[in-house]
Amino acid sequence: MTLMEPFILFELAGTTYGVRSSFVQQIEMLDDVASVPNAHPAVEGVVLVRGQVIPALNLRTRFGFEKIERDLRSRLVVINSGARTVGLVVDTAREFLKISPDSIEPPPEALTGLSGHYLEGIATMAERMILILNLDAVLDLEYENGREDYGSDVRDLGQQP
Amino acid sequence: MDNPDTDNRGDFFEQFLDDYYAECDEHLVSIRRALVILEDEVDTRTVDRTLLDNLFRSFHTLKGISGMVGLSAAEQLAHDLESYLRELREGKVVFSATGFRALVDGVSLLEGVINARRNEQPSPSIEEIAARLQAAAAESATSDAERSINSDSTNMPALLRWQAEFTPTAELAERGVNVNNVRARLQELGQLGQAKPIVKGAGEIAFQFIVTTDADESALAALAVDGLTFKPAPLDSSQRAKDMQPVPTIAPASVVRVDLDRLDDLMRIIGELVISRTRLEDQVKDLKRVTAPAVWRSLQETSLGMERQLRDLRESVMRVRMVQIGEIFERMTFVVRDLARESDKKIIVQFSGGETEIDKFLVERMMDPFMHLVRNAVSHGLETVAEREAQGKRSEGLLSLSALTAGERIVIKIADDGRGIDRNRVLSRAKASGLANGHVDLDDSTLLDLICSPGFSTRDEADRESGRGVGLDVVKKAIEELGGRITLATRVAGGTTFTIELPLTLAIAEALIVTVNGQRFAVPQSAVREVLEVESAATKVLENNEIIPYRGKVLPLLRLARVFEMNDQREARFHVLVLGEDTNAVGLAVDRILGQREIVVRAIKDPLAQSKGIAGATELGDQRVVLILDTTALRQFATTTRH
Repeated sequence: MTLMEPFILFELAGTTYGVRSSFVQQIEMLDDVASVPNAHPAVEGVVLVRGQVIPALNLRTRFGFEKIERDLRSRLVVINSGARTVGLVVDTAREFLKISPDSIEPPPEALTGLSGHYLEGIATMAERMILILNLDAVLDLEYENGREDYGSDVRDLGQQP
Repeated sequence: MDNPDTDNRGDFFEQFLDDYYAECDEHLVSIRRALVILEDEVDTRTVDRTLLDNLFRSFHTLKGISGMVGLSAAEQLAHDLESYLRELREGKVVFSATGFRALVDGVSLLEGVINARRNEQPSPSIEEIAARLQAAAAESATSDAERSINSDSTNMPALLRWQAEFTPTAELAERGVNVNNVRARLQELGQLGQAKPIVKGAGEIAFQFIVTTDADESALAALAVDGLTFKPAPLDSSQRAKDMQPVPTIAPASVVRVDLDRLDDLMRIIGELVISRTRLEDQVKDLKRVTAPAVWRSLQETSLGMERQLRDLRESVMRVRMVQIGEIFERMTFVVRDLARESDKKIIVQFSGGETEIDKFLVERMMDPFMHLVRNAVSHGLETVAEREAQGKRSEGLLSLSALTAGERIVIKIADDGRGIDRNRVLSRAKASGLANGHVDLDDSTLLDLICSPGFSTRDEADRESGRGVGLDVVKKAIEELGGRITLATRVAGGTTFTIELPLTLAIAEALIVTVNGQRFAVPQSAVREVLEVESAATKVLENNEIIPYRGKVLPLLRLARVFEMNDQREARFHVLVLGEDTNAVGLAVDRILGQREIVVRAIKDPLAQSKGIAGATELGDQRVVLILDTTALRQFATTTRH
């Protein structure tokens, strides 16, 4: 039997997503977020987590869903990926689930483009479908269809009237 | 995580490598220091014996520890350096200029080899320099014969070669026994030869040492208690007789090596204490109205007492982070030597204030800018011998590096007595590159701004080749990023002096807390010249620029709300922070000023949250993040919008 791997599950626009729990540093209630001027639209701002200033990335905006007001269920999932620490703003997160690698399938070919790129795979457990995130792709804001190179916005700042 | 078979050993080896690099750094620093002094003794017969001994020991240790981490190129190179030193120590070869050059090049190559390993890059080739060192060591033809006589006459009894093996275990580590102190103890016992890590059957890492000693077996048995095993060493034909001379061991100084990260942790905790204390002070203030005066006064005194104690604590930790700036100066001597050798220049380097202490972090960040200024002084400032003599100057150019502390800041000067900067040439070049037009009065500060402009001189092909001017903008930027300032004083034919002012440390700073469109920002106090309160009616619009009258001149305004694309609600009165000096001054328009605070500067590490105009973040005691403005970048916004 293959080893079960623990995942943290969270909800976003009615769909369940999962990230390997080894990447998750902690899950927090969302307090005040200080907005960062001229940052990427998906970056809500910065928050203080364990003495570290980290960006809070709104996954709804990131995936092109409609933005909703933060409520008591909103959570910040703090991710450690490589040298980076980033908070993901999600609708809610409270589940922990062990998933067998056997039940994770690669994203279907038909799911090309953006949505396919952000996914590492799709796990089917009993009646549930869980989309497993490819964190590197999610955190790489330069990878986006339909958007101009974001860097140029920043560089042009000084010339605006 | 608690799998002792893999993770712990990985950590252990990494930790071990970190220690190795740190120890290499220490030895390289003292080697460079010795080389600076030795340079004056080239071609003399009175080479300072103590210096040679110290150098020899440093190379010997580097050889040993490089072998232990399996870095054979460094081991070989250190061995060749050591061998040359041995010949020098014994007076077998004359300390020639060729030999000294081989020594210096060998040391910088050794550093290169070690750094290549540290940065996981391919190691540079050592053959050529190793050959030069061997040639230098063999310069004396008679030495072989003498050596054999010498080694015959040594009366060391029954030297035996042992192969010792040490396997680190958690249990031994708990008792404080590790490979470093085992090595030290073996070194006390006798001459430590080869040392290397070996991987044993079960995947364990062990260390193998060859030690040559006259100690009897009971001395060895004492070490066996600590996990060492001994057996007679296999014969090694390459083991040369001269390796057997006992080397005096270095007494360990009462110094503890601390990881900079741990000190950063300490600073962070102190920073949090500072924030808590600020919160306490606010609460004490609130209590004033409802508390009996005597009780309140004593509360207030306690709070103020804590503030003083915290300041002392902070200073103590800061002192731990301090290193002497002389370390940079010594490195520069080598840069200068190399450059002078390539040209027809003779240069004397003078230091003063090398013992001035500066934050280790700043030293690392300042190395490149410093190097750049020194290169500039040598390549462009100082003249050739012929030019100098034609002008009646002494033939050696003078480069002086000095440092001193002034209050909370350190002042570093890089001065040459060369040709100085030609204002007219700079001006015509600036005009050609479109950086200046019309009549410009070139005082030293404007001159510096011009030569530090990113576009300066790059349009002049010949000058780009010579490297003049290129990169000074980077120097200025690096210094300003560290909260420092650079100024210039130059006189034609008299020389040029760059003065760099830096804060002693970075973690805590005084800041003004301001609001713009309801959001709070912190502005480093050191960047703010003056704070003005302005009536909206007093501003004038000139083309794209808003200006206000200021000290008989005009001050261009930079609306923070506009730069940051926030909702720009104009109020009848607002505040202006004057940033920069004289002609470069810019007024930063903000809504309100909340007050002045001591803030703990935290870096924003993730690129997602980095933004031009933001230097970092802080927290004021309410767990809410406040962004710190990057005044240098903001001033650049202002100058690029100006027409």
